[in-house]
Amino acid sequence: MVAAMELIDLKKTIGNKEIIKGLSFSIQKGEVFGFIGPNGAGKTTTIRMMVGLMSITDGDVRILGNSIKTDFSKAVREVGAIVENPEMYPFMTGWQNLMHYARMTPGITKERVKEVIHLVGLEKPIKEKVGRYSLGMRQRLGIAQALLHKPSVLILDEPTNGLDPAGIREIREYIRKIALEEHVAVIISSHLLSEIEQMCDRIGIIKNGELIAIQAVRENVEASNQEVALEQVQIEATPVDKAINLLRTNHEIEAVRNDNMISFRSSKEAIPKLIETLVKHQIAIYQVGVSKVTLEDKFFNLIGENTIE
Amino acid sequence: MSRFFKLVFNEQFKIYIRKSTWIMYIILAGLIIGNAALTNSFDEPNKYTDDNWREVLEEENKLLQQDNDTYTQEMKENDQEVTEDDSYLQFNMTEIEKNNYYLENDIQPHSYGAWQFVLDNAMLLSVVSLLTIIIAAGIVANEFRWGTIKLLLIRPISRSVVLLSKYVSVLLFALFTLIFVYVVSLLVGGVFFGFEGINPSIVIEKNSAFTDVSMVSEVFSAYGYSIVNLVMMTTFAFMISVVFRNSALAIGVAIFLMMSGNTIVAFFSDRDWAKYILFANTDLKQYASGTPWIEGMTLSFSITVLLVYYIIFMAISWIVFKKRDVAGH
Repeated sequence: MVAAMELIDLKKTIGNKEIIKGLSFSIQKGEVFGFIGPNGAGKTTTIRMMVGLMSITDGDVRILGNSIKTDFSKAVREVGAIVENPEMYPFMTGWQNLMHYARMTPGITKERVKEVIHLVGLEKPIKEKVGRYSLGMRQRLGIAQALLHKPSVLILDEPTNGLDPAGIREIREYIRKIALEEHVAVIISSHLLSEIEQMCDRIGIIKNGELIAIQAVRENVEASNQEVALEQVQIEATPVDKAINLLRTNHEIEAVRNDNMISFRSSKEAIPKLIETLVKHQIAIYQVGVSKVTLEDKFFNLIGENTIE
Repeated sequence: MSRFFKLVFNEQFKIYIRKSTWIMYIILAGLIIGNAALTNSFDEPNKYTDDNWREVLEEENKLLQQDNDTYTQEMKENDQEVTEDDSYLQFNMTEIEKNNYYLENDIQPHSYGAWQFVLDNAMLLSVVSLLTIIIAAGIVANEFRWGTIKLLLIRPISRSVVLLSKYVSVLLFALFTLIFVYVVSLLVGGVFFGFEGINPSIVIEKNSAFTDVSMVSEVFSAYGYSIVNLVMMTTFAFMISVVFRNSALAIGVAIFLMMSGNTIVAFFSDRDWAKYILFANTDLKQYASGTPWIEGMTLSFSITVLLVYYIIFMAISWIVFKKRDVAGH
């Protein structure tokens, strides 16, 4: 099967600066792919190259096998996108905006436009000027615009930007629904992992123009239990310094001190042994907490906390 | 083809749905009506209609001659040189010659009417140019300002075709506005002054002699000659709009050049390369009336220069638009 979208060693150089340093991955139909990275990592640049808004320095983007470079019309015919904000003509109504874009792709009927409006639930305000729309309504109109021509790939750049929690939840539900019902590949970029984690099947993490990890979301939460040292353990104990020393000498664990708390990572099986050691050496233990390493923690570990704004 | 038509329709839709466009048309209509009211209150439109039109013309000539004599005398009293081609004298002399032409050929001058009014309103074409420049300056730059350019360029249509649809739309806007000026002038003229007939004739100066020509053809040639300047300045504004994505800059530069074009040519008129300046060539009427601005210029020379400028403007617009990375604001 041909991938819905495939990036082949995609590179972008502006001036002497290499902004995107060779991205390669592919996304299948019906899959929701999260594209995560701190601001300035190159997410938007990559998306702009995917849809042909920016020229590609090296490598290629293929949509259903068609290159965006050499076969632009054919490739872009299968893409619906919102790049950055969902900007529409403010002096036109929602309906006029959609019809405007509908005229640009052959074969979009009025019925299809109505269908899409129904899908995003904009029936009521569709005859109003877009200038009066709230950000959430514009975001929905943006999605409607992107779905008009039944694309195989839907690209949403920061779709949760500026939305309130209710709006974010709404968008999340739409995207799941669209991926399921219209069987499209959805690519969502965000700098906030927590916002899109729940709607993605897979997540790619980009930093400084490089893809540093691709992670399946469900796999992470369940399957990672088998990995070693993935439990985050926190122990409140006194004296703290002695406890840390003991962990280091007896178990080769580098624990971090945080007031009276020490935290470190360990496999679940090793925890009783650790506590036994501490108790034997007259360390008073007040509480022990164990939490799973979330995707977010992993994300922070990968890109480094301080690089996030 | 029908797809290109749809693109042009989209662009026209975006032009005409905005209130600012309609304000332009209201201003134009206001200018035409104001002009009619002004003409009506200054002239006596029906002074030649009676049988004594010959006497009226002779009386006019006498007054003009007197006016010239007193002017010459006054100038002499103030110790100022008066030459034959003093503009004040020239203007009166032209009127006298024109009246003589009517008398010699026994043509009764028409009363002032709708056609004559349409012809007089050819001066409004500089306003049409101005409005078209405003549209041309905005049609690409605004898409960037609104951010809608991103959604426009991710359709299965090449950038060249998108740009062409925009350029054609600007020219269509100019055409519609010209027709608007023409029709409204004819209607307002008809209401204020009445019609002179289906195709009346008019006496004009051509190659320093007077001839009798059809009014309608004169109207079309007056409008036609202005279109050259309109198209050139519009294309220029369009180019600036594409290159700098800033409509205010495009409007400013294009209007400044349009206003100061003649001054620029006059300023450099003694240089060899003056005849290659765009504005020395935009007024093709100079060849019809006989005397080109700069010696050695011919109609085919001007057309060649205009074409070269036109191709340069278009090529820059297209290359820049095709190559541009559409990045953030």
